[in-house]
Amino acid sequence: MRTVLSAASAEVLAVDAAPNPWFDPSYVTSNWDTIVGYLGEHVRLTVAAVVLGALIALPLALLARRSGWLAGPVLGLSTLIYTIPSLAMFAFVAPITGITATTVLIGLVLYSLVILVRNFLAGLQAVPADVREAARGMGYGPVRLFWQVELPLALPAFMAGIRVATVSTVALVTVGVIVGHGGLGQLITGGFAANFYRAQIVTGAVGCVLLALLADLLLAGAERLLTPWARGTRA
Amino acid sequence: MRARTRYFVPLAMAAALTAACGESGSSGTGGAADGSAAGGDAQASGEACAPVAGDQLVVLEDDQQLQNADNIIPAVNAAAAEANPALLETLNSISAVLTTDDLIEMNAAVDVQRQAVDEVAAAYVTEQGLDSGVSGGSGSIVVGAADFTESQVLATVYADVLTAAGFDASVQTVGNRELYLPALQRGEIQAFPEYLATVTEFIEGDDATEVASGDVEATVEALTPLAEGYGLVFGEPAEAADQNAFAVTQEFADQVGVTTLSELADACGDGSLVLGGPGECPTRPACQPGLEETYGLDFASFEEYDAGGPLTKAAIQQGEVSIGLVFSSDGALAQQ
Repeated sequence: MRTVLSAASAEVLAVDAAPNPWFDPSYVTSNWDTIVGYLGEHVRLTVAAVVLGALIALPLALLARRSGWLAGPVLGLSTLIYTIPSLAMFAFVAPITGITATTVLIGLVLYSLVILVRNFLAGLQAVPADVREAARGMGYGPVRLFWQVELPLALPAFMAGIRVATVSTVALVTVGVIVGHGGLGQLITGGFAANFYRAQIVTGAVGCVLLALLADLLLAGAERLLTPWARGTRA
Repeated sequence: MRARTRYFVPLAMAAALTAACGESGSSGTGGAADGSAAGGDAQASGEACAPVAGDQLVVLEDDQQLQNADNIIPAVNAAAAEANPALLETLNSISAVLTTDDLIEMNAAVDVQRQAVDEVAAAYVTEQGLDSGVSGGSGSIVVGAADFTESQVLATVYADVLTAAGFDASVQTVGNRELYLPALQRGEIQAFPEYLATVTEFIEGDDATEVASGDVEATVEALTPLAEGYGLVFGEPAEAADQNAFAVTQEFADQVGVTTLSELADACGDGSLVLGGPGECPTRPACQPGLEETYGLDFASFEEYDAGGPLTKAAIQQGEVSIGLVFSSDGALAQQ
């Protein structure tokens, strides 16, 4: 009965309705400014979340490495946060920070931690103990040891974590529509609300995928630039 | 009910086909079959008000105010309203011209003709001359919008007119009332196109007591003190309303000769009316019980579809039901 009705209702609507294709370049051109506005918000939120996440994750990872008994709780807590559904997370934070981009940012940073802390810790632990020993023997202090010995050696693992966190954040930003700051997610839910406007939904969804791919490519390029010594072995 | 639906639908389809073939819309078969299934009022059941198929939907006027008055009313943060009286004055100038037909047209432009919200709103502001004669604005104003077409369009109209008055206005979409009304209270957003009866009941908070009614003025009177305690100020309600309404096809209205629900009750005393709506309709006071008690309407049967969605509208258009529940500003009500 449902199929009969919906097929018939589509026919009835077709009398006056504009076509509703999945892909419609004219939607993109005529709504370019809106799309670029949302894209900008999406990029800003993603970059801010990953940068802040990395800045918080690094000390946590260093702390976890220094004292073994802290590693369990730090990793456990970040994993626990990750299991909170994103919709619930924004609903929890919204009453405190209101319907601002900050609400979305807090959620995104918390989610990025699980990936970043784990990868940062794995990278730091992968630095061979004898290399650190040798550096210390050469008179490296803790700061110089980190910047000149550990960081370069752990960089591939760090970058791997940042790449995964970035791609996952690009996807998560869309949930921010609950407080009106969902970047391209605004197009997706907006399309659903506007009588299932397919071109708008697809533009938002494809935009997210392209943004994630582009961000991953850029980070891969950055990693290549930062680790010139790894190039020879890879080729 | 389910089993009956299964029998009835093919019959109604047959009836709709017959009607399409040029005979009068008398689905005597459908009505009679249904009457007997409903428990033997087949004798009483005539065929004057049986469903008539047609593309154009028209709403029958709720002349005894069964439905709560969900007129569009500007909600403004109290501090923002006090800081600059031009804010509320400007929004009231929109309420003064906004009609339900305007809403229907704008909803249809976005939902059916796939025009951009910004363009539809801008065209309306220009067409109505809302951007002239407003002044006194200063500072930035964020207009909130819920995540459905009508709210988006109205918020954009608000923002456009506020900009014309000299404010630096922008629109922010916020999901639902639980989230945006506290934000309006805190002043994170300053204005919102609200629905009179719904927002009154929301602020009042007690599900058991009903302070909103079908009377616009009485509802505004009830809302004013409630809003004051909540930190909001409301402007003038518009004529435009988005509330439950009952629609028939133009062909049905012409054939029976009705424009209001009272006229329908007078014309359709023979029990041949078929009602369509959401599953909760037979128990909700604003739906079937209200129609029966307030208007004295008598239904041969009730068919379950959705709440003012595509299923109910298609059922009316295809002549499966005589009358169905829709929303009064639905784009599908636009004249084709």
